[in-house]
Amino acid sequence: MGLDLAALSKQVRELSGAAVQSAAGAAERAALALGRYLEAAGEERHWAQAVDLSRETASWLLARPVERLDTTRDLPACPPAYAVVATDGSQIDLDRHGSVACYLINIGHVFIRYGQRPTARLGSRPALYYREEDLYVSDGARRVPIEGNYLSARRDVEEGLALAELAATSLDGTLPALALQDGTLVRWTLAGAERFVQERFLGQYLSYLERMRALGVPTASYISRPRSPEVIGTIRLMFCPDVDVAAGRGARCSECSDARAGREPSCALCQGLVDADVVGSRLAEGQRGPLFVSMSTINIERYGPHCIHFFHLRVGREVCRVEIPWWVASAPEQVDLVHSLVYDQCLRGGGYPVALARAHEQAVIRAADRRAFERMLAGSLARAEAGGSVSAKRESKEFSRL
Amino acid sequence: MTTQRIGEIIESSTTRFTAGAYELLAAPSFGALVRAVTRSEGLAVYGLVYEIRTGSREPGGRAVVRGRTYSGRELYDEEIYTENPDLAEVLQTEFSALTVGFAERDAIHQYLPPQPPPVHYSVYACDAAELVRFTAHNDFFRAVLFATPIPGDELLAAAIRAAAQARPDRREYLVRAGRDLATLLKDDYDRLAALLRRIRP
Repeated sequence: MGLDLAALSKQVRELSGAAVQSAAGAAERAALALGRYLEAAGEERHWAQAVDLSRETASWLLARPVERLDTTRDLPACPPAYAVVATDGSQIDLDRHGSVACYLINIGHVFIRYGQRPTARLGSRPALYYREEDLYVSDGARRVPIEGNYLSARRDVEEGLALAELAATSLDGTLPALALQDGTLVRWTLAGAERFVQERFLGQYLSYLERMRALGVPTASYISRPRSPEVIGTIRLMFCPDVDVAAGRGARCSECSDARAGREPSCALCQGLVDADVVGSRLAEGQRGPLFVSMSTINIERYGPHCIHFFHLRVGREVCRVEIPWWVASAPEQVDLVHSLVYDQCLRGGGYPVALARAHEQAVIRAADRRAFERMLAGSLARAEAGGSVSAKRESKEFSRL
Repeated sequence: MTTQRIGEIIESSTTRFTAGAYELLAAPSFGALVRAVTRSEGLAVYGLVYEIRTGSREPGGRAVVRGRTYSGRELYDEEIYTENPDLAEVLQTEFSALTVGFAERDAIHQYLPPQPPPVHYSVYACDAAELVRFTAHNDFFRAVLFATPIPGDELLAAAIRAAAQARPDRREYLVRAGRDLATLLKDDYDRLAALLRRIRP
């Protein structure tokens, strides 16, 4: 028996009703938040300090303003010829119920050159990991299996290293170029990891960014429909009665004065809002908003010269988030280049960067491919007489007992 | 024979084979003679191209319209490919050929070869000399006329026109071809007449 759709349909209707109500309320609160945000334009230095003071004591994410808060930068002219490289990855996770311990990472890579000599090279490269050092991260005493979040972290590393390799071999420096990744450049999933795990993955990841910096290829990541509330966190500070920059005091949510007085916290109106709702509402087609620094702990403490900055960009009905490391963000002409090239990529891709769409197409592992891989693995193990069998649970899922 | 390699077999059977073209949209013409090499040295299989198609490499994928960009710019035809160089990587042009004979060392046979050309083996365009050599006899007419479910009459007419083009004695060849067709289609006057109209000099 599968999904009981009749029982589900009532719940779906209730959900739709609730969604309509919450959207109406959110629009009103977003307008209030935007009003406060714009009042703060010109006081960026002040709020940057407030952010720094609150970084460890506020219970929300924050973004430190780098440019005027009311910045709306028009789309710079796109160079007539340019090159773009992109990678994307997908994985088949370790199957604990399978016959042998291994996982697969498939990296799709894309090189496209526009202009006088248009060309494109698309491809993918699978890698199977099964050795002890691939399956576990170890510091001698402890052993942590690479699965779930850690496998995603490993995939991020592999995507990055592949992108650096692609940039080194494909880009000859004669054309403006862009290296593009999907999703965030801030590896926040590693923030809670044990130190030696973080060391291993983050070390490799930062070495990829370092290589891109050495190659001089502006690197950016693209986040479609971003849900992050980092700028919103900074707007919360603007509503917070406890912030007093002159006295060196930031927001301390554990000692919230509103809560102590039995009131609803003043920042509550920001609840559930995301950056794109506020910053994006001011952007016309192709315009970008101000640069911010993402204040995730891992970014501030570990990224150093690669400290991730971001801005929002309007592409059609969507407001996307573009992330760039500090060495790109600190060069205005590089920011302009990323701005115009990311936008051009979106235009060519019907709203989403074409290089990323192609990289995804190359990387994706379809259900049929997955089955073929599993059969190949099982067949090879059988021929090698390697023994091993699937778990009883897995077997019971594949064959129902009648 | 030093003609150009144009594609690679992606599907193969005794009576026909399909090749992917190396260059997007650059398939040989309908009715053209192509040669596929085989695992046996000196044995090459000849086919007449009866279908050409271009589509997504991904199963189930479809092309989308791209002539009007989001910013309102109008792009026409070849411009669309220049502006989207990735298209050449995600689209593929394929052509299918009906097997009409084979060459074994110096001999040409106009009947089916012992083995079809293997998948991934090369397909070459035939030049005029090779076309003239293969079409010295008309025994392959029958295989084309009675092949299903392909447009056999159209295919044969196109092949005959091409073979005539390749010769200095064009008229003489067409008369001979017409006579052979009349023998093959002696029971079907309408079909013969339609075919003859298609190859009339």
